[in-house]
Amino acid sequence: MVMRNRAAWLPWALPAIVLVTVFFVAPFLLNVRFAFSSWTSFRAEITWNGLENVRTLIDQELLANAVTVTVLYAILCMAIQNTVSLSLALALQRTSGINTVFRSAFFLPTLISPLAAGYIWRGLLAPDGAVNSFLGVEWAWLGEPSTALVVVAFIDAWKWSGLITLVYIAGLNSIPKSLLESAIVDGAGLWTRFRRVVFPLLAPALTFNVAVTLVGALSAYDVIAATTGGGPGDHTRALNVVMRQQWGQGFFGSASALGFTVTLLVIATAVPLVWWLRRREVTG
Amino acid sequence: MRTVLKYTALTLFAIPWVLVPIWLVVVNSFKPAGEAAELGLGLPRTWAIAENYGIVLDRGGYLMGLVNSLKVTVPIVVAVVFLGAAAAWAFGRSRSRWLQAAYFVLGLSILLPPSIIPTVYLLRALSLDGGSLGYVLTMTGCRVGIVIFLATGFVRAFPPDLENAAAIDGASRLQVFVRILLPLLRPVLFVGSVVLIINVWNDFFFALFLLQGSANATLPLSLFQFASGTLQSLNWNLVFAHVLLTTLPLVAVYVVAQKRVLAGLTEGALKG
Repeated sequence: MVMRNRAAWLPWALPAIVLVTVFFVAPFLLNVRFAFSSWTSFRAEITWNGLENVRTLIDQELLANAVTVTVLYAILCMAIQNTVSLSLALALQRTSGINTVFRSAFFLPTLISPLAAGYIWRGLLAPDGAVNSFLGVEWAWLGEPSTALVVVAFIDAWKWSGLITLVYIAGLNSIPKSLLESAIVDGAGLWTRFRRVVFPLLAPALTFNVAVTLVGALSAYDVIAATTGGGPGDHTRALNVVMRQQWGQGFFGSASALGFTVTLLVIATAVPLVWWLRRREVTG
Repeated sequence: MRTVLKYTALTLFAIPWVLVPIWLVVVNSFKPAGEAAELGLGLPRTWAIAENYGIVLDRGGYLMGLVNSLKVTVPIVVAVVFLGAAAAWAFGRSRSRWLQAAYFVLGLSILLPPSIIPTVYLLRALSLDGGSLGYVLTMTGCRVGIVIFLATGFVRAFPPDLENAAAIDGASRLQVFVRILLPLLRPVLFVGSVVLIINVWNDFFFALFLLQGSANATLPLSLFQFASGTLQSLNWNLVFAHVLLTTLPLVAVYVVAQKRVLAGLTEGALKG
């Protein structure tokens, strides 16, 4: 029968495989080469130069700072996003008319581009803006080294929280009601129920959300471009921001090395995280 | 009593979280430059709606951006959905080692960030750099993985009996795909396209590297160029008018489809 013919499956997968190979896998492999190559706008020839790009970036004091900023940004963004989204999901778990209205409203920021979100909050958080006049202070949230990074990470988290909330609601609703009811019968309070029943069973959604938000935030660029441009000083100069600057100045090899650093960070974050969270899912 | 308290808290949270940001954009896009520079939340003392939006439409490159955004978003979504569904069918049903290996590589494409600089190099080598075709192909190649991954799980959870029965009845493969597979995968493809549309419509990073010249600029690029033109002191009224017009098409689609969007996302097609 036609459907059992093995070779006949290939044509169905082939277009997707070709596109992924040419436009994802090939650039990925090329990047490993470019990261360790001399390639600039001043000399078109691309030649192997080992760790020269990395050394230059370290000498210019760009690399260590960019890594620190990127990692901090990702952790802050992940923490804010998941705290807000999980709280909202717990409050809006039941599907009812009024909850749907709130879910719909909290989803709106997800539709706004990160770039536009950056401009909006830059306006709200301006020294003479609405936030300061409400708080009765005058603080340059995006201009002060102590708050700039937290604020850009917050804006990124704000943009995505509506979507993550829905993923958490899906996770919460997949928890069998009977388990919660028997916990109530056993006299478990609200907090115990959350800690002992809801939280462990929420692990798949939690795994997904923590991994997605962390990995996504390691590629931070848009919000920073719209708000600080990397400043004040270099306090929000994440890896992709430096990459764009190096690219703009014609240092394509260094730019590749920075892009490769993002990839390494993603691997270093995602692999243990997925492994650890998956393991806890089973034992938890 | 507890319910009242909960919804009061939610409302108090929603005001600064959703309402104030939107209000700031709308009301300031109606003000003349000097007044908008105060970034207040009050109603305009002088209204400048026609002037502001006229300038954005005229100088801000809005209409061209809108056309360019549609020109890339529609092909990307169509390609990802159909090529993704076809591949998911193959990955879900075939036991070929080669296809399983390809499926593993595909999984990596979801997790790892795309390498943007070699992509520029590659597109230049293929003479596809700077234009929408190169951008569409790149975005499709980088985004099709997630849809395949979600849809393959769906295919595997579904026994192949129906497909086999249709094949015995003489249906061609294409007919089986269109009549049985696509309807079966509809929920997951819908959720996939929602997330994809939001991603592609709002994409700035890829567009910045891959699309050159205002003839190709999508809406986020046009917003950035417009805002950066006067980076020292943003013309807030114009920037906000541009932000509003850039977001509006997506919000309009959302308002029409919100019931299905919310239901689709909360019914857990993304879960796990």
